[in-house]
Amino acid sequence: MAIELLIKNGVVYDPINGVNGEKKDICIRDGKVVAEVKNPTVLDAKGRVVMPGGVDVHAHIAGGKVNSGRLFRPEDGRRGSEPKTTACRACSGYSVPNTFATGYRYAKMGYTFVMEPAMPPLAARHTHEELIDTPILDNATIPLIDNNWMTMDYVKSGDIDLLAAYIAWIIKATKGYGVKVVNPGGTEAWAWAKNCDLNDAVPHFDVTPAEIVKALAEANEKFEMPHSIHVHGNMLGHPGNYEMTLDTYDLVKGVKATKDRPVMHATHTQFFAYGGTTWGDFESKAKAIADYVNNNEHVSIDLGSVILGDTTTMTADGPMEYSLHQITGRKWTNHDVELETGSGITPFLYSGKVSVHTLQWAIGMELALLIKDPWKVALTTDHPNAGPFVGYPILISMLMSKKRRDESAADMHSAIYKKAELPSIDRELDLYEIAIITRAGTAKILGLDAHGKGHLGLGADADVAIYDITPEERDAGKIQKAFLNTKYTIKGGQVVVMDGEVVAAPAGRTFFVTPECDPKLTEEMMPNLKDKFEHYYSVTFANYPVQDAYVPNPYEIKAPMRG
Amino acid sequence: MQTIRLKLREEVAVRNARIPVDASSLTPDKLFGKRESEIKAVKVWWGNREENTGELFDVSVEGEAGSAEEVKTVMEGDLSRVKHIGEGMKAGEIEANSDVDMHCGAMMAGGRITVKGNADCWAGREMRGGELIIEGDAGDNLCAMYRGEMTGMTGGRVVVGGNAGECVGQYMAGGEIVIKRNVDILAGLNMKGGKITIEGDAVMPGADMTGGEVVVKGKVLDMMPSFKFVETTTVEGEEYKKYQGDLAMTEKKAKGVLYVR
Repeated sequence: MAIELLIKNGVVYDPINGVNGEKKDICIRDGKVVAEVKNPTVLDAKGRVVMPGGVDVHAHIAGGKVNSGRLFRPEDGRRGSEPKTTACRACSGYSVPNTFATGYRYAKMGYTFVMEPAMPPLAARHTHEELIDTPILDNATIPLIDNNWMTMDYVKSGDIDLLAAYIAWIIKATKGYGVKVVNPGGTEAWAWAKNCDLNDAVPHFDVTPAEIVKALAEANEKFEMPHSIHVHGNMLGHPGNYEMTLDTYDLVKGVKATKDRPVMHATHTQFFAYGGTTWGDFESKAKAIADYVNNNEHVSIDLGSVILGDTTTMTADGPMEYSLHQITGRKWTNHDVELETGSGITPFLYSGKVSVHTLQWAIGMELALLIKDPWKVALTTDHPNAGPFVGYPILISMLMSKKRRDESAADMHSAIYKKAELPSIDRELDLYEIAIITRAGTAKILGLDAHGKGHLGLGADADVAIYDITPEERDAGKIQKAFLNTKYTIKGGQVVVMDGEVVAAPAGRTFFVTPECDPKLTEEMMPNLKDKFEHYYSVTFANYPVQDAYVPNPYEIKAPMRG
Repeated sequence: MQTIRLKLREEVAVRNARIPVDASSLTPDKLFGKRESEIKAVKVWWGNREENTGELFDVSVEGEAGSAEEVKTVMEGDLSRVKHIGEGMKAGEIEANSDVDMHCGAMMAGGRITVKGNADCWAGREMRGGELIIEGDAGDNLCAMYRGEMTGMTGGRVVVGGNAGECVGQYMAGGEIVIKRNVDILAGLNMKGGKITIEGDAVMPGADMTGGEVVVKGKVLDMMPSFKFVETTTVEGEEYKKYQGDLAMTEKKAKGVLYVR
């Protein structure tokens, strides 16, 4: 017996299909959007805003460092405790919520897909175990491939084909989705208590971060990968880093994409758009970044916008976390992943009374408002680094209301009027643009639009968010409230949230990519890889790859090798 | 004045492996304005089950109250597995007539709690104001912050008639604690403000302190080597050596004061 749903009388925003606020019914059968239904359960959306399920391009929700964050911040745990209900297990945490809270809270905001963007390959099993434990959300995770010894060896020898064979192997071995870059070379240098500028040589490897980024972009484009390389560059969070950011974008300008998408996704760009030379003369350079993105087609970005308040910062960028810990004096933990990457974690409080934090707060929104084409921009807070994902509704209401931005700015440090662009920007995003930066555009950036995400066309996954506002709503407070708790969230054709409460918590699916490398190249690469396992890894080659049991609900995307 | 008597039923105290009762919903300010029947219907966690107060306690009410300040809650029976007594209370009075379990008076902001026996760990945790009198001993972490937090007690007054455990007043930022007998290690750990008076002995008091005052009237065992002698001075008519520290937190931050005999 087919399970059918009919969403009646909603006002639909479906940018991939060009639907901009049209009154339209949506028919659902067996988890997919269909043309008609015969005997459906009817959900009356009564003039409310209807969008495809949200797609988050970048949020740290699972894996080793997320869990370390939970363990070393019990004080954060108590800020989000909620008892179990008939549908839900017990929740804890605010900036580092447990896996259950992560699934429920995203679903309440109308999100149905989240990308965990930083999986240390060696910790792939841990990451997948947490994703299995995260209810409702479909997910994927991108392995860190930039500080790996294998990668740097091939960058040095200039052998892009063998590098492609290696990334194909490691993406398959980790059930990953693409290529993640975090402080290329710098994380390896951190093992020697050093860091790297874009053109510094990585200690003992004799390659530069610039060479690593370019080579990985080229290797990624050897396959028809759904997503470009996903880049957290060098010198995140340092005053004056915007020039290095633009140089990083320029590195891949000549690289040709195998699909209709950019060749680099630059993540949490707010942290990379800083002017000045010290924290004293620190200023926003969002305009310079926005100008570049406006004039070029090879880069997409996400915001990494700040949510004021206490949060937990965590990244594979070990040296950055150490500098942050030195500024705040708060607790800090550091981790090395052999041959591959590392990480650091420290808590952080973003305060509207502090000039630097106020400017950071402004920069994220400036990027969203100064970049003209919303398809190039994704809404994120780099959860939890610039703030927890439950802050998205605040951000949406700010981007939609100049009045709200002005009111907030008036209560913050006066530096915002001298060193930021935000107060002079009049642009207000509409619901169509919000739908792009939170689902349609993010699905396209990740290449998921071809796999049923981010839209409501025929055959799409029946992931739908129904928000309890009309398209005419202008009250920023009501907009925020509506985007925090949906009227209904539907995931795979099942109602999972009703009136802001989770009513069902089915398991999500894991999307992973299988790059189909020429077996001859794999064969040629293999002795080098086995040599690394034999001489350096503490695990054996045979025990390394993640077995199928770690993706109990798989969705495989094949990426053929080009020509 | 109104007196609300809550007597824990004996079968609750002894049954089911002595599963704890969470009494945080039974503060005078929360019970103010409720009739006896309504008090009996107030929800109380008993282990992982929510029960009506009337199922766990014998309830009786005498007199009338015009405000929460005029409400006195008298808790009777064996309360040694009753946790969170007076947690978060803002006004009124609680008298607990036996030993009490953990978190008594945690986060309280006003009013008064008197414990006629011993209090287990975390009594007065993150207290903001009011008065907490423990006639017996207090467990560990008296008036401390909760795990991971950076601020403990900020206001109010706590008196312990007997001994207290480890880490009294950890991360304390304000208010006053008086311990009539001895304390275990690290009283005033990470203290930033307020005052702790220990009438008996103390072990390693004041470690990592950056502000506030600790007075030890008895012996100090294992004095922290990172405290600097300032002067000999008189406190309440007795001669004390005044030290400043903890220099382990850097000289700039070492604004804590420790008086020892």
